[in-house]
Formats: sequence, structure tokens, C-alpha cells
Amino acid sequence: MARFIIIRIFQTLVTLIVISMVVFALARASGDPVMLMAPAQASLADIEALRQYLGLDKSIPEQYWVFLKNVAKGDLGESIRTRRPVATIIGERLPYTIQLSLPAIFIGLFVSLILGVTAAVKRGTWIDTAVKFIAILGQALPSFWLAILAIQIFAVSLQWLPTSGTGGLDHYILPVLTMSFFMLPIMTRLIRSSMLEVLDSEYVKLARIKGLSEMWVVWKHALRNAIIPLLTAAGITFATIVTGAVIIETVFAWPGIGRLIAEAVIGRDFPVTQAVVLLVAVVVLMVNLLVDILYAYVDPRIRY
Amino acid sequence: MERVSFWKKIKKIWDSSRRLPIIPIIIMSVIIVCALFADLSWLGLPDIRLAPYEANEMSLGDRLTPPFFMPGGSTEHILGTDNIGRDILSRMIYGARVSLSVSVLVILIASVIGTILGMSAGYARGRTEAFIMRVTDAAMAFPALLIALLLAVSLGPSFSTVVLALSALSWAPFSRMMRGEVVRIREEDFVAQARITGASPARILIKHIFPNVVNTLVVMMTMSVGLVILIEASLSFLGAGVPATTPTWGSMASEGRDKIARGWWISLFPSLAIGLVVLSCNFLGDWIRDKMDPRLRQL
Repeated sequence: MARFIIIRIFQTLVTLIVISMVVFALARASGDPVMLMAPAQASLADIEALRQYLGLDKSIPEQYWVFLKNVAKGDLGESIRTRRPVATIIGERLPYTIQLSLPAIFIGLFVSLILGVTAAVKRGTWIDTAVKFIAILGQALPSFWLAILAIQIFAVSLQWLPTSGTGGLDHYILPVLTMSFFMLPIMTRLIRSSMLEVLDSEYVKLARIKGLSEMWVVWKHALRNAIIPLLTAAGITFATIVTGAVIIETVFAWPGIGRLIAEAVIGRDFPVTQAVVLLVAVVVLMVNLLVDILYAYVDPRIRY
Repeated sequence: MERVSFWKKIKKIWDSSRRLPIIPIIIMSVIIVCALFADLSWLGLPDIRLAPYEANEMSLGDRLTPPFFMPGGSTEHILGTDNIGRDILSRMIYGARVSLSVSVLVILIASVIGTILGMSAGYARGRTEAFIMRVTDAAMAFPALLIALLLAVSLGPSFSTVVLALSALSWAPFSRMMRGEVVRIREEDFVAQARITGASPARILIKHIFPNVVNTLVVMMTMSVGLVILIEASLSFLGAGVPATTPTWGSMASEGRDKIARGWWISLFPSLAIGLVVLSCNFLGDWIRDKMDPRLRQL
């Protein structure tokens, strides 16, 4: 087990280095940062001085090394538009994204558990068809449309809820619900197929023969085992949440990380884009590492 | 007696219609015709067009005209106009071009890269496999939209940036699927025989293994079309898609976002088009899978 964990941590580090190289290369491909930063009336000597000051006169490997050292120190550079440190901006925005996605994940997981398990138990009935219908529709409709529609109905027409922005609890309702709906289809599909497999197994049959109530068999014996395959999907689910955050925060003018990157893209603010992508990469890799270790812990066959 | 045979007839029609997904086929045909004949500028005939107006033609007198079935709407602009008087239907017909050409190109590129990587990994095994599969896993876990945004900023908005950005990660599912298939097939007797007769690994992969995985590949390609169209639309929606002079469904939905109280049709119809096309692609994909490779059925 220890060997497995060490190997996986090592692999994660290697992947992280590769990603940082790609991000760094893209940063240099986006054009000369000195030209972007220097004021229009700067003389050639000024530009040279700025280049030296920023360390951009050094060789590319040296520049990469400096970039790595800065990132390790938490120095992610400066936003081209606002001139503020990127790390500070991210620190301000991150809590908003967490406040939005945690309840969304919780609600999404809860609803998809109920839908997925019910569909599996009632396989082939109209309930199963209805759940399948929701899943197919949810995967096909663009998420921004659902958000726009929700604003139109509940904020503009009925005026029950605010259209966008932050504030009291009522500001959370629409973004949280649309975001949880965003992850519903994929989770429901996964739970349903994993549940179908488990319901067909010997131990579920045994539990039934023992005379346990159907409720107990389904929600305790079967569900516990059906959840294990879901662990491997955690990485993909996380990617879905990040994508959802970018779109939904943009539509609802929610000042989180997702909207930050969307604004940075439109403003061609490369340092911010780069930092957010790096941050997400680190979190994605950590989630996957954690999931792999947990999975090996739960299912010993995985370990080398 | 009459009743029973009537219901049987209905059931028969229902069953046969389930065999062939007629509605998705019709929708996709309409979209393909729209994309091809929006205008014939690719044949040097920009004046002959299916779209009633040019994509960026403004008639400022007809700003925010509602669709024809609403009070105040007219059949001159069947789906209404936006806030600077551009015809929604025409722009949607032009928008079909971007969605279709981007998704076809991306899927071709992604499937070629994914197939080469996945097949090599599955055949070589050992370290090569471990390396390729780690890269694949990383690419699968990473949110495609973010990498696409990063590329869009660093390379600047253009058609080829969008194609490159979407291909950058879409190869991963192909790689994973192909590896799994090849790992299974390489143990078959006919592969061993080919090896004994001295065939090179490249020849074995192309001549002996590839014909056995091509069905799976085609199924995956069809099933991915909808996903790519969705990501392209999200990219356009966020303003990082093809340059704004070309109308796309995603950018139209985005333009109509803050005008939703005065003109809901501006973003409703393009979003609906995205939903319909993605739905049709998914149904077609399901159907092709059931025909060609039923093992892949999951739900």
C-alpha cells in the first residue's frame, strides 16, 4: 500500500510538471509580455530595462525555472488589466465559487442518488423512462440556456428571485439549482448502471432470501456497493463542475473563479488565465490522487 | 377484434420507427442542408442563398421584431430580429456552418490521434502503455473548456484556434477505448499467427487489428459529435470562439442574454437549435451503436 501511494504521488508530480511546462509554453506563445505591459510611449531603452527587470532576457529554460520558483512561492504574477497580484485576486474569488459549488454538489448528488436508484429498481417502467428522459435532455441542452431560462421565468416574469449578483440567501437559489442540474445527468446515469449491476448480484439475492425488507436491501446493501464505482468518476465529475462554474457564474454575474477566467479571456489577461488553469490542474490532480488511494484502500485488487 | 388489430398496427409502426431514428435523421439533414447552402460563396456564388438575409445584414427599422406568431411579428422575419435588426433565422442558418464544420474536424483529428495512441498503448503494453495511459487519464480528468479558453487567449480567436483547442483534449476518450479493445484483441489467435509469419507490429495493427475495432471507433465518433457541439457553443457563449463576425449559435445565445426581458427569442431559438442537434446526434449515435456494436450499451 505504501509503495502504491509513493508511486502515485510521484506520477502526480510528473504530470504536474508536464502541465506547468505546457502552460508556460502557451504563455510565451501568446506574444511578448513586455510589449503588453510597456506603456505606448516607452522608448526602446525603457523596454529593454523592463525586459531585464522581468527576467525575460534570460534563456527559456532559465525563465521556466524562475517561473516555477515564483509559483512555488505563491507569486503567480500580476493581472495585466488591474495590475494586482493574481494570487490576491484568486484569494478573493475562491470563497464565492466554493459557496456556490458545495451546496450544488450536495443537492446534485442527493437528487441523482434518488433518481438513479429508483430508476434501477423500477427498471423498464415509466419511472425508468422518465429518468432516462431527464438524463438525455439534461445532457443535450446547453447549460447556459437553462440558466437564462431560469432567470427569465423566476426573476424577470415572476420576480420571485434576484436576476444575478450576490447578496442574501435568495441570490443563491437560482445559481445553485442550475449548477446541480448541470451535474445531474451524468451522475444519474452512473448510479443507475452501477446499481443495476449490484442488484443482480448474489449477496443482494441472499439479502432478499433472508427476508430483509426491500427498502433495507436496496438502500443499505445494494447502494453501499453501488457507490464504489462512482469514486472513479469523481475526477470526471469535478471537470463537469468546473465547466459548470465558468458558465453559470458568467450568466449569474457571480464573482467566483469561473467568472474570473471568463473575464480574463475576454480581456486577454494571460497571467490570470494561466494561474486559474494551473490552480485547477493542481486540484484535479489532487482529487484524482485521493480517489486512487481511496479506491485502492476500498478494493485491494487495485494495488500493484 | 377491430380494436386489437388497430393497436397492433400502431405498435408495429412504433416498433419500426424505433428501428430507424427518423426524426433525428430529418433534423440532421435539415442542418446539413442549411450549413451547405446558407449561401453558395464556396462555389463563387455568394448571391444564391438559402438564408433569407445575409448573416450581418441589419435593417434598423425592424429592431427587436418578435417571431411571426407573436403580435407585432411578420413573416418577413420568421423568427424575429435582434436588437440591431439582424434576422435570427438567417443567422441561425449561417451558424449551422460553424457548429458542423468545427465538430466534424475536431472529431476527425481527435479520433486519429486517439486511435494511434490507444492502439500503440494496447499493443506495446509495458512502459509505453503506462506512459500513454497516464497522459490519457490526465487529459480525461482536465476540464476541456479551460484548456480551450487558455488556447483561445494565447493564440487569439480564429477558426483554427477553436478546432485546435477542442481537439487538444478530445482525443483522450478515443485513446482509452481503443487501448481497451486492442488489449483484448491482441491475445486472439489470428494476431499470434500474423506475428509468427513475421508481420511487423505496424502491419499487424493496421491490417489485422484495426478492422476489428473500426466499428467501435465509428460508434464513438458519432456519440462524440453532440459533446463537441456543446463545448463549441459554450466557448462561443463565453466570447472565446470564432471571431464575432461569424454568427454561431453560442454567440447568438450570449448576445441575447441581457435582452431577455425585451426579446427572449434572440437567445431562445439558437439555444433550442443546439439542444435539438445535440439530441439528434445522441439518438443517432445510440442507433448506430445498437446496429454496429451493442456491447457498448450502458444505459
